[in-house]
Amino acid sequence: KHFSQESCSDPSWFKTALHQLYYDPNIENKNLAQKWLMQAQVSPQAWQFCWALLSPEKVPEIQYFGASALHTKISRYWSDIPTDQYESLKSQLFSQIACFSSGSKMVLTRLCVALASLALNTMPEAWPGAVAEMVRVFQEDGGGVDGRARCLALLELLTVLPEEFQTSRLPQYRKGQVRGALGREWGSVCPLLQQLLRRTDSPGAVKARVLRCLSSWVLLDVPLSESEGLVHDCFSALPDPELFDTAVEAIVNAISQPDSQRYVNTLLKLVPQVLALQEQLREAVQNGDMETCHGICRIAVTLGENHSRTLLEQVDHWQSFLALVNMIMFCTGIPGHYPVNETTSSLTLTFWYTLQDEIMSFESDKQAVYLQVYRPVYFQLVDVLLHKAQFPSDQEYASWSSDEKEQFRIYRVDISDTLMYVYEMLGSELLSNLYDKLGRLLTNAEQPTSWQHTEALLYGFQSIAETIDVNYSDVIPGLIGLIPRININNVQLADTVMFTIGALAEWLADHPVMLSSVLPLVLQALGNPDLSVSSVSTLKKICRECKYDLPQYATNIVAVSQEVLIKQIHKTSQCMWLMQALGFLLSALPVEDILRNLHSLITPYIQQLEKLADETPNPSNKLAIIHILGLLSNLFTTLDISKQDDESADGSAPPVKTAPPPPGPNPVVVVLQQVFALIQTVLSKWLNDSQVVEAVCAIFEKSVKTLLHDFAPMVSQLSEMLGQMYSTIPQASALDLTRQMVHIFASETDHFPPIKALFELVTSVTLSIFQQGPRDHPDIVDSFMQLQAQALKRKPDLFLSESLDVKAVFHCEVSHLSLNLTILSVFLVVQEDGKLLVQAVLEGIGGGASRSLMDQFADVLFCLNKHCFSLLAVWLKEALQPPGFPSSRITAEQKDNFSHQILRERVNKRRVKDIVKEFTLLCRGLHGTEYAAEY
Amino acid sequence: MAYQLYRNTTLGNSLQESLDELIQTQQITPQLALQVLLQFDKAINTALANRVRNRVNFRGSLNTYRFCDNVWTFVLNDVEFREVTELVKVDKVKIVACDGKSDSSCSAADVLLCFCASALFFF
Repeated sequence: KHFSQESCSDPSWFKTALHQLYYDPNIENKNLAQKWLMQAQVSPQAWQFCWALLSPEKVPEIQYFGASALHTKISRYWSDIPTDQYESLKSQLFSQIACFSSGSKMVLTRLCVALASLALNTMPEAWPGAVAEMVRVFQEDGGGVDGRARCLALLELLTVLPEEFQTSRLPQYRKGQVRGALGREWGSVCPLLQQLLRRTDSPGAVKARVLRCLSSWVLLDVPLSESEGLVHDCFSALPDPELFDTAVEAIVNAISQPDSQRYVNTLLKLVPQVLALQEQLREAVQNGDMETCHGICRIAVTLGENHSRTLLEQVDHWQSFLALVNMIMFCTGIPGHYPVNETTSSLTLTFWYTLQDEIMSFESDKQAVYLQVYRPVYFQLVDVLLHKAQFPSDQEYASWSSDEKEQFRIYRVDISDTLMYVYEMLGSELLSNLYDKLGRLLTNAEQPTSWQHTEALLYGFQSIAETIDVNYSDVIPGLIGLIPRININNVQLADTVMFTIGALAEWLADHPVMLSSVLPLVLQALGNPDLSVSSVSTLKKICRECKYDLPQYATNIVAVSQEVLIKQIHKTSQCMWLMQALGFLLSALPVEDILRNLHSLITPYIQQLEKLADETPNPSNKLAIIHILGLLSNLFTTLDISKQDDESADGSAPPVKTAPPPPGPNPVVVVLQQVFALIQTVLSKWLNDSQVVEAVCAIFEKSVKTLLHDFAPMVSQLSEMLGQMYSTIPQASALDLTRQMVHIFASETDHFPPIKALFELVTSVTLSIFQQGPRDHPDIVDSFMQLQAQALKRKPDLFLSESLDVKAVFHCEVSHLSLNLTILSVFLVVQEDGKLLVQAVLEGIGGGASRSLMDQFADVLFCLNKHCFSLLAVWLKEALQPPGFPSSRITAEQKDNFSHQILRERVNKRRVKDIVKEFTLLCRGLHGTEYAAEY
Repeated sequence: MAYQLYRNTTLGNSLQESLDELIQTQQITPQLALQVLLQFDKAINTALANRVRNRVNFRGSLNTYRFCDNVWTFVLNDVEFREVTELVKVDKVKIVACDGKSDSSCSAADVLLCFCASALFFF
């Protein structure tokens, strides 16, 4: 079916189309029907057919479509309607709404939205007092429709009116006008709502609709003083289960209006009302009624979160605000475990941040007074939060679903964040407080302690120590002394012990004496697969922060690590972390010790690798090879002997240790040279496999990054190997490593020859691949362009070579313009092949390249314009000559205009970018669309 | 509130590239593309606010800060990012942050807390 004027004057078409849309199993038919209906909806005929579709004998689907079409026309094509027809359209809509007030609800709502849209288009000039008229029309007796249905229809209309305003696309100036007009109409709405809500004989359904209507209107910034009476009525509605949800919504909307803070007296009157809900709250808690708890908590929290400043400042009422704070505290500590027995407590966390911020932002003497009152409250909050953070009994926890466990984990992170923030207010006294509690708990011989309780207290410590510098706290030594007293009989507890030690790593670096009491624990945990993540990450943190104090423990740490690696206790990623930890650890040892440890650490792996290299390639030995190569890479990532003296973190303290530069080759280089032949053997068998090649390249890349110039002894042999690898089977990772080498060594005379040879080789190999079809190797294109850019930036001499076909390189760069554009203008060959470049740039702008690259294209044009202006003029002219280039959407005039603008602008780069941006939008058919507008 | 700042992420840019292509080949209208983009704003704002609980701590020295049109911008030097197992050092970081709460009157502390809700880091 095709859309035509005739077809939409025939109602049977709509019936068929809608039937297809809803019920046809064939998706193509559905799409066709939808397309046809959408076209019909916006066609000029819609003004006529929509009324026909609304007639009573039609099915609701058709009526709905009619009403919806009507709304579309009114909201988007309002200018179609001559002024003298406003009145008749309005009365037609009124009578339709009256008809449908006892008909289909969805059609009624659509019609109300249509009338609302009409009102927004005509108020205040063409339809002054719109709302008052709506109220009057529906209150008059009409057409045999019963009063209750009319009342519900009116409420529906009044509810959608502000909603339609919020979503409408009125122009800015109209928006302000209409908002003002709607605000004035509140005078007609308010008494109606009040009357309906207060009448004892109003049915529940009507009251619920009144509350929804109120919610909708308060979002228009109705002054709180004017809705005050209604808000009080909402509180009276709360005991009614049928009205509870809508009443909560209305109250929350009213008091969270940004403007409401101006009405201090009204807010003060609300506090006792909220406090009066505590009885209902307690009852709900007792009955396990989660919905009611949630709703009441929302009201209390909304008042507290939005108005704590205002309410704190009313010093005469400090007691009632404190009572509100305590009510919220009750919600935070609501009995039961989150998220299984309750979901309310998490609502309150933001309130505590807000209150703290407000208190801390008072000037100091005022702040001191508030702190006197609120510090005890926040200490209580810490207790409550740590209680809520406790794990349930083992049996109960085992019964939770994985989703519930995840939610609980998230909840604990939120608590942890809150504690961290609260520390800002309570300071080190908070840590002492936690320490006292933990001490009492662990030394109390009479009462058996639950692991949950201990865990929660440690979790509190960890939350704070992880982010905040606890250096000046005097309880940390005591805490570390307590840790060995903990009876670690549970995985969660053990994890938290580990993480707590990890969080104290920086502190340990300043207090190395204490290392001896925690290290044994960490090393012991390393052997437990259940504690894999926590123990390995803690060891890594300690090795990173305290490496200069660890040499005396090094032998032991290496031995334990080696043992767990051989026993394969940890998963791959933890093994990698462990190697990084060992890299940190070894960095601080004397060179001969490093070599000795390295040998004992990696010899087993080298032997294994030798064995694997002999085997015929298969998937399982591939994984083993990649694993071993990965271990080496990770070890060499952190093994850095050069940085021994720049560890005095903030630069204020003198260097901790000033070791003379160690004589002889770097130990990593020694090891690399020893395994080089083996690596070549591995490569010879696996050259085809990009993952193995990548793993091999990673070893060298990480080493180069850490060693920098110390890597020098290996440059020539590695260059040779890379060249061989790449010319046999080109892979992107080899190019990336080449780039790294160019970056570090290309400017050094000694190393220039091998680097240059490698550069020439990979360039010519790459060019020959590109001749066969670069599209198959996007990763190589990407890496190659980055290599070229690096070479140009670092050492342009690399291009001055007879064996390098610069022109070919240039051509290939031009054909992959979307990458590294700015480097192009440096090429000496530009003058010869400029036209080609301009063509490629225009093609990109015309839609061939991503829109986010337009600034770079503009840069190229700007550069050309600056350096070869007269040529650019010719090239642009020639390139833009063919019709339809670079886009069929562009006229010859627009192209002319574009080249003029570009050629004229030789100073202002920003302006060139704007010109290119505008032209690209024209070419893509996006010009002037809201989609492509700047945000 | 759905902020649009996440459009300038890898995910947002890829989406826009795809939408551009669909418009150029006339498979969708710019209006529909806009709706998709708005939906993206909504979804990514919600997802980042509600689904992410990973924590990264960082410290560095504050070079510049400004607050304009409800957007905070901080430029930090010599920044260390710490995640559970990783430590990353960066010379210069620009942080663009919008208020995560609906109330627009906020102090600097508010915003620092809101980073997780809606912030972008540029390295």
